[in-house]
Amino acid sequence: MFDILERLCNLDSTSGDEISVREFIINEIKDYCDWKTDNLGNIIAFKKGKNKSAKKLMLDAHMDEVGLIITSVTADGFLKFKTVGGIDASALMFRSIKINDNINGVISGKPIHLISSDERKKPPKEDSLYIDIGAISKEDALKCVSLGSRAVLCGEYSENGEKIISKALDDRIGCAVLIKLIKEYDEYDFYASFSVQEEVGLRGAKVTAFAINPDSAIVLEGTTAADISGVSEENKVCKLGEGVAVSFMDTAAVYDKEYYDYALTSGIKCQPKAAVTGGNNSGVIHFNGEGVRTVALSLPCRYIHTSSSVADKDDCECLLSLAKYMLKGICSGKIS
Amino acid sequence: MIDLKETLFLLSNADGVGDLKEASDLAYNLLSKYCECTKTDNLTVIGFMKGESDYTLMLDAHIDQVGFVVTSVDDKGFLTVKNIGGIDIRALPSRRVTVHGKEKITAVFSATPPHLAKGEVTYDDIESIKLDTAIGSKAKEIVSVGDYVTFANTPKELFNNRVCSRSFDNRAAVTCLIAVAEMLRGKKLPFNLAFVLSDGEELGLRGIRAATFKIDPNEAIAVDVSFGDGIGIDSEDCSPLGSGAMIGVAPTLDSKISKRLMNICESKNIPYTTEVMDGKTGTNADMISVNKEGVRTCTVSIPLRNMHSDAEIVDLSDLESVCQCLCEYILAGGVKDV
Repeated sequence: MFDILERLCNLDSTSGDEISVREFIINEIKDYCDWKTDNLGNIIAFKKGKNKSAKKLMLDAHMDEVGLIITSVTADGFLKFKTVGGIDASALMFRSIKINDNINGVISGKPIHLISSDERKKPPKEDSLYIDIGAISKEDALKCVSLGSRAVLCGEYSENGEKIISKALDDRIGCAVLIKLIKEYDEYDFYASFSVQEEVGLRGAKVTAFAINPDSAIVLEGTTAADISGVSEENKVCKLGEGVAVSFMDTAAVYDKEYYDYALTSGIKCQPKAAVTGGNNSGVIHFNGEGVRTVALSLPCRYIHTSSSVADKDDCECLLSLAKYMLKGICSGKIS
Repeated sequence: MIDLKETLFLLSNADGVGDLKEASDLAYNLLSKYCECTKTDNLTVIGFMKGESDYTLMLDAHIDQVGFVVTSVDDKGFLTVKNIGGIDIRALPSRRVTVHGKEKITAVFSATPPHLAKGEVTYDDIESIKLDTAIGSKAKEIVSVGDYVTFANTPKELFNNRVCSRSFDNRAAVTCLIAVAEMLRGKKLPFNLAFVLSDGEELGLRGIRAATFKIDPNEAIAVDVSFGDGIGIDSEDCSPLGSGAMIGVAPTLDSKISKRLMNICESKNIPYTTEVMDGKTGTNADMISVNKEGVRTCTVSIPLRNMHSDAEIVDLSDLESVCQCLCEYILAGGVKDV
């Protein structure tokens, strides 16, 4: 799984521009399931199992990651941008970026020597930052980028022992687990949604849920872990190394209580996501049609939405195990 | 001329914070291809070329880079660090760095999670931004208080001969000095040349003190980087990338050297700009000029963007201009007879 995860994380797929991740996934799953892409670029797959499922189940993982979009070019050849999805300006300052998969750039700003001591204590402002690709004029810059070009923060996948450091773990881990399930799990039928545009408002999964029209859903995600030195216990949300974070409620959804309990009593290492924060595709999936019973299983990630999220390898394995366990529980009719 | 890009990339990948010797050792090896070299204090490198008089011109470029030192290690694998040199701590969260413990490990500066970033986050001191080694309690076995931490970025090429990485302040100037040594090797020199790659500049112009005292030069040029252009930066505070050598003019610098450098650039068609400073220069020149009974000193700088970050940008054509300017100035006799 970590080989696939590494390759997925190192691909660049900002919201609305998920081509490289989509192609990678299609290539991985094409021999194992029926699949199609839809008008927005989502992949919808059907994996035939040995048994017919008691419920029509959909598993979802989103393909997009947070990034940047080029909005204008100055006379000097600097590029102005907006963020696609939420990125803190401190995670942007002086970072290496890649535009359109192949152009190197840097997010530049004022050097510390030219900033007043007051200003140094305040958060950097996004509009004071700009992209430098080495262009010497507007015309020069427009030879290789256009308005609307996407960029991502560079943050190559690496491992520190049992930990992973990478960009885009949110939600390439979900993609990796779902690919693995399509390849390996064959007990019951299930549908898979690899969705676009999650980071800009849960848009892709809205239409995959409509197309699949499931009874039940499992959303595979990455979520904030705040188990950082100096953060109080009640604010940690979830912790690395303590297994899958299972949501009871966030700002986008209230989750199915039975599914939540079933996950927590699975015996597989997991923990409640102990805060009502954030949101994921569950927000649109559970409202679909006449309602969908939904559970969200997430990999705890420190520094999510940055170039260097940190996660635990064992938690990744637990996510795969718990996804399988929930899949079986729902499809076999074991959960009422 | 040596391959400036290749040399700069090599040098910028080598570490030179605190007592990390990699950069200094590499620079020593590169410089000693062209002149006799010694190391004065483990870190500062001095190269020497004999000329035709007793007069000595010293060229200086500091070899150290900005970085951090570990001040505490906790059970969960988080460190606190202090910066070495001025670093904008607002740009640290989620940045990857290398911790030089018993082994090198990658670590990430922690970022405030979104649910805790209510209201305005303030950046009062670097010790509130914990450094996450991601190896939990094992950190205590590998990392000790006093270990050094360096930025982890590697060089990338941008358009138009521009390149980006960490430590171009001041490996760009070190690259130039090595190139100048290669260009002048075997040439008839009007005076002795001392090449100093000095330590400890970022901690307050420290290494250059002893080196200048030892060499006792008649004249000196501190080669460093200075502010390149960018959005929101006043044009009087910077020079555009690609505009050539920045020749210093300041109350603390020798105006005859400044003038002669400019004349040389004019007559040899070497691109340059004038960098006017209103007092001290913030470079080793401030220390060199007050050595012993005083040393006639000037600065020649390379415009650089994003100074003291790991995304510093230079234009390789500016390095070339600096090399040409220094060579022509030396061969023309400096201000020895002025």
